[in-house]
Amino acid sequence: MQEAGKALFEDVDNLSPKDVDSIFVGAAQPERFAFLSYVAPLVAEYIGVTPRKVIARTELACVSGQAAIRYAWNCVATGMSDIAVAIGVEKMYQPDMAEAQTTMTCVLDREWDGINCFSAPPIFAVTAQRHMYEFGTTEEQMALVSVKNHHYSSLNPIAHLRKEVTVEAVLKSPVVAPPLKLFDCCPMTDGSAGVILVRAEDAKKYTDTPMYLIGSGQCAIGNAINNLASLSEWVPLKLAAEEAWRTAKITKDDVDIAEVHDCFTISEIMEYEGLGFCEKGKGGKFIEDGEPYIGGKVAVNPSGGIMGCGHPLGATSIYHTFEILKQFRGDVDRGRYVKGAEIGIQHSLSGAANQHSILVCSRELR
Amino acid sequence: MSKVKFEKIKRPEKIGLPFMLDFYPLQDEKYTRISQFFKNLKEGHLTTTKCKKCGELLWPPRIMCPNCLSEKLEWFDLGTEGELYAFTEIRLGAPIGFVEDVPFCVGIVKISGLLISARIDGAKYEDLKIGDKVNLKIVELPDSRVFYRFSKDKEQ
Repeated sequence: MQEAGKALFEDVDNLSPKDVDSIFVGAAQPERFAFLSYVAPLVAEYIGVTPRKVIARTELACVSGQAAIRYAWNCVATGMSDIAVAIGVEKMYQPDMAEAQTTMTCVLDREWDGINCFSAPPIFAVTAQRHMYEFGTTEEQMALVSVKNHHYSSLNPIAHLRKEVTVEAVLKSPVVAPPLKLFDCCPMTDGSAGVILVRAEDAKKYTDTPMYLIGSGQCAIGNAINNLASLSEWVPLKLAAEEAWRTAKITKDDVDIAEVHDCFTISEIMEYEGLGFCEKGKGGKFIEDGEPYIGGKVAVNPSGGIMGCGHPLGATSIYHTFEILKQFRGDVDRGRYVKGAEIGIQHSLSGAANQHSILVCSRELR
Repeated sequence: MSKVKFEKIKRPEKIGLPFMLDFYPLQDEKYTRISQFFKNLKEGHLTTTKCKKCGELLWPPRIMCPNCLSEKLEWFDLGTEGELYAFTEIRLGAPIGFVEDVPFCVGIVKISGLLISARIDGAKYEDLKIGDKVNLKIVELPDSRVFYRFSKDKEQ
């Protein structure tokens, strides 16, 4: 997080950590992963911020980072804060894999679902199984998502995994929880990322190339497996997307870049559907037809996604929001550059995909 | 080499499983207001709460109906036979306390209209299919706590 803090403030000439009046720290499970609570003041201290207005940690599992952006955005929008930082961090790498998995397994209702070992891979495995059963989605189609995202992450110098994979390699990788294999899954990663939020009219004081938040949508339905709206269709995503398009005054067709939550290959397939890029049940065909590649219908995860970049829970949403800014600035490898992009969305989900969050970002103030 | 003193200190070689890292829920009245669920389970019944006011069948068991806020709930027996709605097998990445069981199947069982997650015993992943009939079984922990699982029993 010190690296992220340094990069954050060095990106802006006339703003130092001392100018920041508010900070929100996205961190999902520092109590378990790093044996630390109360991490907001700790992070502020590490990056030289001494907030005089608002400070808090935000937790929403894999969406903790976007929650931090939302709180910072609200503070700036209401005038409570003038300059707010949203920074996310997660320290996940540790010597004992079983202990790390134990931590992940208490995200779902531990007493009723976690107890049955429904951590991330098993819940997305049964989700994939139902999607395959109901819509005929195939393991090959899921593998294509991994191939695409590893291709883009191979062009991203700060990605966790920078190697291309083939469909065959995905299908032959070790089975984690069938039908999911290792390369259907994102890795566990240490990471941190931050953004600075100011009111739109102040943005150009600090940079010639700001990015504007123009809309958002968020929706949660149920928590325990029994209370999900559906396993094979992400209803909360659909509702969050409708709200995002409404508040941003855009349609799905205006989206040039979609940085979406590809924690597992099936997730991205269901996100094509939930975001309305294709019909329900047709997500497998959408990737087969190359539509989510740059030059297709919409560029999905030109960063490499969390599958390629890694998934440090609290930092994930913030990093992928920053990726949209890098795209707008043209500050990425040509092989993964979405030329002329005007609108980008950052989507994250949490838990058993019962909660979805979308930020709509624009290159120009609209 | 500096003159600073070095001293080897003792640490416990191994720390036992801390209680709150055990996944199985606390079941006594002291700890939970749904202890009746576990009492029923000890007698061989998988039950849950049903709202007497709005009729909603609630899972997990509650002390208040989130649908209509009524506290007038009754215990409802879910029966012993369910249908496999979805399943997978844990082959990698099991949490502490379950690593020794790998590989094992887990699934979602449709029973009395609910979708309950559970361990699925008695079959390998390859032997299971969506729609299979599965039967309730109860596991007893060494400390006398209990929990439910489902099992695919061999065809009669």
